[in-house]
Amino acid sequence: MSITHSHPVPSTSAPQRRRFRTGRSEFVVVALLYVLAVCFTIGTVSMHVLGTAVPGPQFFPIIVCALLYATASALAVDILRHPRLPDAEPHPGHGDFSTDMLRDLGDVGDERTDARPAPMSPRWTTYSDWRTLAQVLGAAIVFIVLLDPVGWILCAALLFWVVARALGSMRPVFDIGVALLFSSVIQLAFSAGLGLPLPSGFVGGMF
Amino acid sequence: MDQLPLLFEGFAQALTPMNLLWVLIGALLGTAVGVLPGLGSSMAVALLLPVTFSLEPTAAFIMFAGIYFGGLFGDSTSGILLNTPGNSSAIASTFEGHRMARSGRAAKALATAAIGAFIGGMIATTMVVFFAPTLVRLATVFGPAEYFALAVFAFLAISAVVSESVIRGLAALGIGLALALVGIDGPSGTARFTLGMPQLFDGISVVVITVGLLALGEVFYVCTRIHRDPVATRTPTGGRARLTLADFRRALPAWLRGTAFGAPFGLIPAGGSEVPTFMAYGTEKHLAKRSNDTEFGTTGSIRGLAAPEAAANATAGTAMGALLALGLPTSATAAIMLAAFQQYGMQPGPLLFERSGDLVWTLLASLFIGLVILVLINMPFAGVWAKLLTIPRHYLYAGITVFSMLGVYAISSSVIDLWVLVGIGLIGVIMRRYNIPLAPVLIAVILGPMAETELRRALAVSEGSLGILVDSPITITLYLALATALAVSGVQHLRHRAQKVR
Repeated sequence: MSITHSHPVPSTSAPQRRRFRTGRSEFVVVALLYVLAVCFTIGTVSMHVLGTAVPGPQFFPIIVCALLYATASALAVDILRHPRLPDAEPHPGHGDFSTDMLRDLGDVGDERTDARPAPMSPRWTTYSDWRTLAQVLGAAIVFIVLLDPVGWILCAALLFWVVARALGSMRPVFDIGVALLFSSVIQLAFSAGLGLPLPSGFVGGMF
Repeated sequence: MDQLPLLFEGFAQALTPMNLLWVLIGALLGTAVGVLPGLGSSMAVALLLPVTFSLEPTAAFIMFAGIYFGGLFGDSTSGILLNTPGNSSAIASTFEGHRMARSGRAAKALATAAIGAFIGGMIATTMVVFFAPTLVRLATVFGPAEYFALAVFAFLAISAVVSESVIRGLAALGIGLALALVGIDGPSGTARFTLGMPQLFDGISVVVITVGLLALGEVFYVCTRIHRDPVATRTPTGGRARLTLADFRRALPAWLRGTAFGAPFGLIPAGGSEVPTFMAYGTEKHLAKRSNDTEFGTTGSIRGLAAPEAAANATAGTAMGALLALGLPTSATAAIMLAAFQQYGMQPGPLLFERSGDLVWTLLASLFIGLVILVLINMPFAGVWAKLLTIPRHYLYAGITVFSMLGVYAISSSVIDLWVLVGIGLIGVIMRRYNIPLAPVLIAVILGPMAETELRRALAVSEGSLGILVDSPITITLYLALATALAVSGVQHLRHRAQKVR
């Protein structure tokens, strides 16, 4: 979140061979936008329209599809022309605000704050740590599948435990206690207290 | 002045012990999420929306009022003490605030920030009380074309004018509008993009989208970074907020200038308080240069902190007015508040004051009470709040993951919602990774259905002629203002691109 940084970031791209792919992984977003656009186009064309009002229910989706195709194509061209490597530059609100604009408005020179992402390092094969994400994602999927048969307390405790472990907790046994306590307190507060219907699963049958 | 009796009635409603407890809970929660980087009031409200369904709406909104302002009190605390702004709305106040703390004036800085936030919020909320009826009268002359123009203004201002990249902002807008299309189309009854699944007939719940993007998306993003980003060295400076009368006098003009910058921005969909805080900071910097203030930029100027802090809360205060009277969310946080109203079956706008007047005035009264409580819990205990940053991050994010699942499951006990939640969380992490703004998605999801309905209504009246969209002075003004803003921002982008190439 820094606006500028006073220490120059050492160039990290030097030891790496620059390939066509380098700095162009954002094509994932282009693909996502195209998939969304194609799905919504199919949905619009095959829509079973009720009523005869003009403009009908297909009118607005056509505009949205056009916007999706246009931005996807423009983004593809932009990535081809300017590949972007992860940098240590500030991106206030993850791109919600233009740094240049804020800098001009605030007449910002060398002021900085220290929260700043790491630039790409040659120690990594990918910038993002997909392994940790995969562990947490896997736990979320297991949670959803097991929620109804196994019940809230055990599922939520498992999810809590895996996320804590993946994010660097060093005390697995202690965490089991923390996780069970957390999920039980939620079950008590929200199910018994506020009346949210949380599945009790087979554990509920024992009481 | 028929507002005052209504406001007093609101105070009478809000000052019951139970409601005071809800404001206090909201203020504590709001400050907490404000202090913690990456979390904000919008995420807190989204997470709490489903679990507060069993409360009566007044109690829930009173709590949300505390959270709404609390986030802006908390984010500057960690900025001042640790040089880590809790949110991007606190970047501008961190510059001088942390300099003051480093030069041994942390207590003064914390007090300046808290009182500034209080003054900005108070003045802005008072303005809302007095101008809301005027806004409501303005809104009653709005027809479909005007509402559509307002929505287009909000869409493009947030996605294209203030965002880092115009293409990425518009792409985010497209994603949001597409998500909002799923479900039964109101006017015709046609099922759209539901893949034949009855669970999707009601559309994708706004709560699922906001919790997915803001809470689960943030957890997923932290997963991809936590073993990679350097651990920031945090050296907490002790904090008890104190301010002498002389300092108060010095800061007062800056607080008022900041409020003057912030208040108008609450009514413009410019994405929140980032733009006015930086403008307030820039002004103080210029004034310091002119008066040869050597503190500014070295040991930290009290005015350089006071102005942005007041601006941030003034923006939040008047944003509440625009939301209640016009139904226009001017920032992502305001959009979530709008979603909260919709969850309770209320539509902010002129009719809200008529139909749920008692709720509106109780809410406005609790905004005042919330500000008083916030200043009371932030002034003496600022150091305690900074200790929140020592909570192990793995427990914090594990808790947020479980709580996201709980909230979404609580909406309708549907496992499909949980799958959608995880899918949207993944979209959220991809968007964060490539710095694609999230605010346009939230604004589009929440204003999209309104934009579509009003556009179709306008075109049905005019029998398909597009002329009706630019037929009144209000719409012409809105579109001209939007075109000007787009042009200025376009020139800005091109100029900086040219500078970087050189």
